[in-house]
Amino acid sequence: MIVVATNVTYLLAAWFLDPRSNYRGLRPVRTEEQIDHALAPYNLDPRAPLADRWWHWFSDVLLHFDWGKSPVGASVNSEIGFRVVVSGQLVTAATLLSVVAGVALSVFTASRQYGWWDRMTQLVSVFLFNVPAAVAALAVVFAGIWLNQHLGWRLLYVAGEKSPDVSGLWPTVADRFQHLVLPTLSLTLLGYVGYHLTQRSLLLDNINSDFVRTARATGLTRAQAIRRHALRASLIPTATSVAFSIPAIFTGAVITETVFGWNGMGQYFVQTIAKNDVHGAVAVAAFGAGMTAIGAILADIAVVVLDPRVRVR
Amino acid sequence: MTVATPGTHPPAESAATAPVLSVRGLSVAFPSEAGPVQAVREVSFDVLPGRTLGIVGESGSGKSATVMGVMGLLPETAQVSGRVLLGGRDLVGLGDRELSAVRGNDIGMVFQDPLSALTPIFSIGRQLSDALRVHQDLTRQAAWNRAVELLDLVGIAEPHRNARAFPHEFSGGMRQRVVIALAMANSPSVIVADEPTTALDVTVQAQILDVLRTAQTETGAGLVLITHDLGVVAGYADDVAVMYAGRIVEQAGANELFGRPTMPYTIGLLGAVPRPEARASGQLVPIGGEPPSLVGLSAGCSFADRCPAAVDRCHSQEPPLTAVPGHGQVACWRAPDIAGGNPAASSLFSPPEAAVEEHRPDRQVPGETVLRVAELARTFPITKGALLKRRVGTLHAVSDVSFALRAGETLGLVGESGSGKTTTLLEIMRLRPPEHGLIEIAGTDVAAPRSTEQTQRLRRTVQIVMQDPMGSLDPRLPVFRLLAEPLQAVGTDRDAVRIRVSELLSLVGLDASLADRFPAALSGGQRQRVAIARALATEPRIVVLDEPVSALDVSIQADVINLLTKLQRELDLAYLIVAHDLAVMRQVSDRIAVMYLGHIVESGDTEDLFTHARHPYTEALLSAIPVPDPQVERSREHIVLKGEQPSASRLPRGCVFADRCPLYPLLDGGTQQRCRTERPLLRPAASGTDHRHACHAR
Ligand SMILES: Nc1ncnc2c1ncn2[C@@H]1O[C@H](COP(=O)(O)OP(=O)(O)OP(=O)(O)O)[C@@H](O)[C@H]1O
Ligand code: SF4
Ligand code: SF4
Ligand SMILES: [Mg+2]
Repeated sequence: MIVVATNVTYLLAAWFLDPRSNYRGLRPVRTEEQIDHALAPYNLDPRAPLADRWWHWFSDVLLHFDWGKSPVGASVNSEIGFRVVVSGQLVTAATLLSVVAGVALSVFTASRQYGWWDRMTQLVSVFLFNVPAAVAALAVVFAGIWLNQHLGWRLLYVAGEKSPDVSGLWPTVADRFQHLVLPTLSLTLLGYVGYHLTQRSLLLDNINSDFVRTARATGLTRAQAIRRHALRASLIPTATSVAFSIPAIFTGAVITETVFGWNGMGQYFVQTIAKNDVHGAVAVAAFGAGMTAIGAILADIAVVVLDPRVRVR
Repeated sequence: MTVATPGTHPPAESAATAPVLSVRGLSVAFPSEAGPVQAVREVSFDVLPGRTLGIVGESGSGKSATVMGVMGLLPETAQVSGRVLLGGRDLVGLGDRELSAVRGNDIGMVFQDPLSALTPIFSIGRQLSDALRVHQDLTRQAAWNRAVELLDLVGIAEPHRNARAFPHEFSGGMRQRVVIALAMANSPSVIVADEPTTALDVTVQAQILDVLRTAQTETGAGLVLITHDLGVVAGYADDVAVMYAGRIVEQAGANELFGRPTMPYTIGLLGAVPRPEARASGQLVPIGGEPPSLVGLSAGCSFADRCPAAVDRCHSQEPPLTAVPGHGQVACWRAPDIAGGNPAASSLFSPPEAAVEEHRPDRQVPGETVLRVAELARTFPITKGALLKRRVGTLHAVSDVSFALRAGETLGLVGESGSGKTTTLLEIMRLRPPEHGLIEIAGTDVAAPRSTEQTQRLRRTVQIVMQDPMGSLDPRLPVFRLLAEPLQAVGTDRDAVRIRVSELLSLVGLDASLADRFPAALSGGQRQRVAIARALATEPRIVVLDEPVSALDVSIQADVINLLTKLQRELDLAYLIVAHDLAVMRQVSDRIAVMYLGHIVESGDTEDLFTHARHPYTEALLSAIPVPDPQVERSREHIVLKGEQPSASRLPRGCVFADRCPLYPLLDGGTQQRCRTERPLLRPAASGTDHRHACHAR
């Protein structure tokens, strides 16, 4: 899957992105031929047949894990290396938090169906569902700034993924964390909503089902019956959906990273597209596909853990 | 073959036995837009250890709300008052935590629908051991062992292996056994069973009732058995409470209640239920009217509008439940009069005049054959996989069905669910060449090529009435449009439609004013009448009825059955009926065909078949129907079949009934061999009779 998706992206990118434009604006003005010539060492020469370029690129990736060069010659690998860690952190943390928050909230509210809390949280979730990622990110930035001002010192950073001049293990961890909180928060705010709303309705179906009533009749309290029987049964569809929501979170990350000025994959993606960097864009897509695949594997594991019926077969 | 005789009750306990459960003045109300729904009003009863209290009543009479109130399982919005005394402790008002210590430990509960009552993702053994460990301090292993013992006790074969199975691998009957095991796991002092057999086939019902009895003997618990089936109550209950509109209106020992009913509603109910053991000489006697709405009940007796004995006082004051000597507790102002024989109970309800003269004119002159089905077969592919459907087998829904239906005659198809009854009906309605065999409607072979006009004529000849009138009537159309639609489809002009619709309404006994109501604003009985009128609109000759009354309550059911009989006589209709209620079938059918796994195993004249059943399956089926008379029900022998009807995907080579046949083990080797290898053919018992059956041994 990942391989296919990546290759398709390569062909699309090679088709639509024009690396020559990076050189057109340069002074002295170069001829098309000169430009093509300059691109040739990076395997971007438009004169070479697409199939050849593709094969060159693909074998490099396969044999040397070399994702190619940008139109100006920078290595994609070195650009991506640290960004993967930065974005991976963000997406993983946001996904986990979204799932935990969404599911926890759904349990809390579904057992109080149509109560005050249920209505309130549902209202908030529906509202957030319709907020664009950029707006949410900005709101979080302002909230962070406001908080810092009130504290009188900078607790949370609103820009960048790390401070340049921190050394030592613990200070580094603390510094990273201070940077991570706000972007993660803004991504989570958008991500948890889906889990809350779908999980709530799944759970409600199960809470009002006959088997929960049976479980209560054997002597479980309502809360116990919901937790042990209804929740588990209703988590199975959610677990599968986590994998498929990763691309959406990733897209959200593009905007969030831009707002927070993170040097992450999202920001890189925007950059590569803007600069017609075929190889860079493809590498980002491959990263997204990889994350999705990891998510799918984790989801499968979760389903096996949750649903003993699968284990027997 | 197990021969069980119900009615082997522990001797009546001495009066000193303290009740294990006492309910006093229990009331339950649910808030609704129109005001509070008074689901249960001032209900009181006692449950004695080892004895069975049956609670009967029509749907909506408050049976389930009562027991849910006892269990503390009502939704939080429900308002509950009164007292529920369990071992002297009042459960009303206790919190969920305190109640959960009682539930499953002191009270066990069995629910109606076994298919959804078990958690799909846990194994049977896990659910049982969890139930044990909630209340008992057991190790995992000890709980598991006990769970296996319990499964064995409720008759699950190979309990060690099956404890590891998941609910979806079990049939309905097996799941209900598991639910019973759950209920009895911690030896409760009370077991509450809410319609435990309603969702099951009649032969499985007999098994489950036996298992319930085992659970009761094993734990010594008092049993509260809720059902709408008077036959089940007659066979299994020591005491009976009849509920109507949220109240107990009569409560007495089973013998007194069935023998000398006193409250007019009870009298009416017993008169309205068809008896399987004898063909009623006359018609069923309907009560008439409908139960009242439970919102804003009037001050008087809630039965007053339907009661033939009502006096002025009945409309202004609600009668309390009072003891009537020689009877039981009765809530009726006129109970002393009725108990004294004035008015006599039997004279209260009279059959509708139109039908009194003769119920069934001896239609010995059969009309011409209007429907002929021969060697009909229908299979469905069994597929696996969500995206790429692979065919993994073939389901033989109908394998060999032949019958003929004459004008003015009713043929009943009976058999357990999955025996292929509905498929047979649908094949006929399709009007297409069948997969195998022959279908001939009014002399026309449906497989023969025909013009559009002929097809239309054919379509007008056969009409269908379905089980669920709500599902088959478009909710957005008023009654007039519903009835006009089939007429317009065949090109009737506007004035003729108007005339025909009012004709149809009066034909099915509906008031013309109902014409502009929507289906949702009609009662169940009225809806079914509209469905019947719609089927009759184009003057068909054959009406196919799939469970026409099973969604209706007993007191309304009788009305519809009577209507069908009347229409048949007036219009010389041929009916092909499918119904699971054999008592109803005996009432309405002239001839009956018994189906098992897609085969007709016996067919013949209704009376002949009911009194001289020849096929072992028919025998067992008939024996499994509970008779609403405690004397009869408790003295007769029951044949309880083992197992359930297998899946139709792998038909046995020989007799399809061989795996469950109670006769088979008693046969000599040679005949057994034939049962196993040779499919028995349908043949007459004696030459010249219409009574045919398919069995090697009989
Ligand atoms: N469209 C279908 N596709 C697959 N299987 C079907 C279909 N229709 C019916 N069956 C199967 O055919 C068998 C006979 O079904 P049918 O509905 O005729 O039984 P029945 O006697 O009418 O049962 P019930 O009393 O529950 O209505 C069953 O095993 C059923 O599951
Ligand atoms: S109280 Fe009156 S209306 Fe009610 S059942 Fe008795 S006689 Fe009929
Ligand atoms: S043919 Fe054999 S198995 Fe079938 S019903 Fe008769 S005796 Fe039983
Ligand atoms: Mg059916």
